[in-house]
Amino acid sequence: MFDDRQPHAAAAGDGAGPSRSSQAELEFRSLLDAAVDAIIVIDHRGRVEQFSLAAERIFGYRAEEVVGCNVDMLMPAPYHAEHDSYIERYNETGEARIIGIGREVRARRKDGTIFPCELAVGQVAQAAPPRFIGFIRDITLRKQAEERLRRSEAELRLAQELANLGNYVIHLDHSEPDYYSPQLHRILGIASMDDAVPLTTLLRLWVHPGDREKLDEAVADLQSTQASCDVEYRIVRTDGVTRHLHHIAQITRDTQGHPLRHVGTIHDVTDRRQGEDEARQLQERLTHFSRLSTMGEMAAGLAHEINQPLSAITMYAQACQRFMRSPNREDDDVMAALEQISAQALRAGEVIRRLRNFVKNREVKREPVDCNRLLDDLRTLAETDARLHNVRLRIEAEPGLPTVYADPIQLQQVVLNLVRNAIDAMSDVPETQREVVLSTHRLPEGEIEVVVADHGSGLAPEATEHLFNPFFTTKAGGTGLGLAISRSIVRAHGGRLWHTPNERMGARFHFTLPVSPAPEGE
Amino acid sequence: MIKEIRPTVFVVDDDAAVRDSLRMLLKSVGLPVEVFESGQEFLDAERDDRPGCLVLDIRMPGMSGLELQGKLNERHSILPIIFITGHGDVPMAVEAMQAGAVDFIQKPFRDQDLLDRINQALEKDAGSRRMLAERNMIRKRLESLTPREREVLDLVVAGKANKVIAGDLNLSQRTVEIHRARVMEKMEAHSLAHLVRMVLEVERAEE
Repeated sequence: MFDDRQPHAAAAGDGAGPSRSSQAELEFRSLLDAAVDAIIVIDHRGRVEQFSLAAERIFGYRAEEVVGCNVDMLMPAPYHAEHDSYIERYNETGEARIIGIGREVRARRKDGTIFPCELAVGQVAQAAPPRFIGFIRDITLRKQAEERLRRSEAELRLAQELANLGNYVIHLDHSEPDYYSPQLHRILGIASMDDAVPLTTLLRLWVHPGDREKLDEAVADLQSTQASCDVEYRIVRTDGVTRHLHHIAQITRDTQGHPLRHVGTIHDVTDRRQGEDEARQLQERLTHFSRLSTMGEMAAGLAHEINQPLSAITMYAQACQRFMRSPNREDDDVMAALEQISAQALRAGEVIRRLRNFVKNREVKREPVDCNRLLDDLRTLAETDARLHNVRLRIEAEPGLPTVYADPIQLQQVVLNLVRNAIDAMSDVPETQREVVLSTHRLPEGEIEVVVADHGSGLAPEATEHLFNPFFTTKAGGTGLGLAISRSIVRAHGGRLWHTPNERMGARFHFTLPVSPAPEGE
Repeated sequence: MIKEIRPTVFVVDDDAAVRDSLRMLLKSVGLPVEVFESGQEFLDAERDDRPGCLVLDIRMPGMSGLELQGKLNERHSILPIIFITGHGDVPMAVEAMQAGAVDFIQKPFRDQDLLDRINQALEKDAGSRRMLAERNMIRKRLESLTPREREVLDLVVAGKANKVIAGDLNLSQRTVEIHRARVMEKMEAHSLAHLVRMVLEVERAEE
């Protein structure tokens, strides 16, 4: 019966009344055809005896094309070549490799395409020689979905690795296990997340002391009604490595406002920050170096500036001694001299204090700065140089200027640099004409302008071209950094630095700074 | 006769504290002192013909100490100048000395060093002024001579005897003697040697 090459005809009935065996056969056939999985029955030589409807659909063969042929036609290499030997071995040894087990294999359709399938094989009971029934399920779609999932997971992992970005999902309602991406583990330098220590606790434990406040604020934001945070901070890992993290997180809540999930990404921005830090530190070192070298060049003038009050103190003290010895002394003179002694000692101290402030290697700190006060503060240092070269220094301050938001020492550095250039530019000018005028103006565009004007020889056209280039200098002992650094300082403050010819003779150097925003409530 | 004015120490320094401490120091030793904050202020006050000395800061904005010295030299001022110099101003001090400054002193200094220099400068000034006064006196006496008396004087100073002078001027010896006596009287000369010294003193100054 199983040799019948026309099972469908048999199934449809051949007109004769069904016998007992043909009744069973019909039922069997209906069963075969009703199954969703392909069902194929083969004999002990591997020849196909039954090929169900689903099998026709899955393989693209009609049953009559397959029945009687070797089942290996449905298999790609290597099964194709080896299937006969599998059956022979089973027949001889009774050792089953597949029967009753089921596994994933690959099969070949009529059009030659190969597809994945799940194969389960059973042996027909009490049949001799043995016959086998194969159940085949096409798992192409499932495989594709699995492959897509696998690939997208791999891509996500790769993307996270490349971006050094980790993500996590914490199920605050414990509905599902929490998720921490592999890259997150790498960023944090841990093998696996310890469930006993929640992520936020861990981060607060490791955060760099300088950033603790920032992180605490962010966590407070996250847990507040805002339910989100975006913060950058440093952590010191257990291996001692410091990393800069950019952490964005959000807490989702249900309609009653109960927290459901805490999702977030942690981006390791260490390399970028370190690069920025290095560039900034280099710039700051250069700026500081330039201040030091300025002070070095001004040493003679500074010595004079300290000598002045010391000389005065000496003379006042000696005058006091004489007054005290004099029989008809006037105490008013002694008192006046003593007052002056302390005033001059303070004056000398002030010069040293300003000098130290100016050359101190310090963090750049911006604050509201009154440009007029800044010029006044700078006067001592600037006049040091002016006096040495018999130059008058005049300050024309526009009263009532709004403040600018700036680093005062760096601004002093810019002005001092321009003043010293102005003084140097006048070395060939008669002494009575040597004057530097420092002025401040308020511009209509919400800017403050500071101008340093001299009556020197002016700028040669070929010099103006390279004026702001580093290491360009017209002075014998110059570093050529002054103007380049001044311009970069002014630019960093959102301003401009340029020059124009002065009326009649000399040059004017201008720089602008944006007015600091008015405090709230004004 | 010249009116008697006490010699004064003039101080020109742009640094208020240095200026004031110098004033105080000089006051403490009883020296009259006047202070000025710039060379121009001192020139405008026209004190440069007064007896005394000038204590001058070599570095000042506007008119430097050296420039003021140049202007005073143009005015033929004889006021002795002591320059106050800072650290490393030696080349300028040398220039100042070449232009006739009496001395310089480097800041900071011991009061006695400055006072010693000031006393020397005042002595020098007094000496110069005495000499000038004497020259002026001699010139005035010379101006009081008649042309004939002046002729006789010149020949006497040239070492000629009365007889020779009488011959040269075509006068009697007696007349020459009378003129000569008048010259000795007008010039207030004690002796022939004194007369010669006075005339030579004036001539040397006018060369």
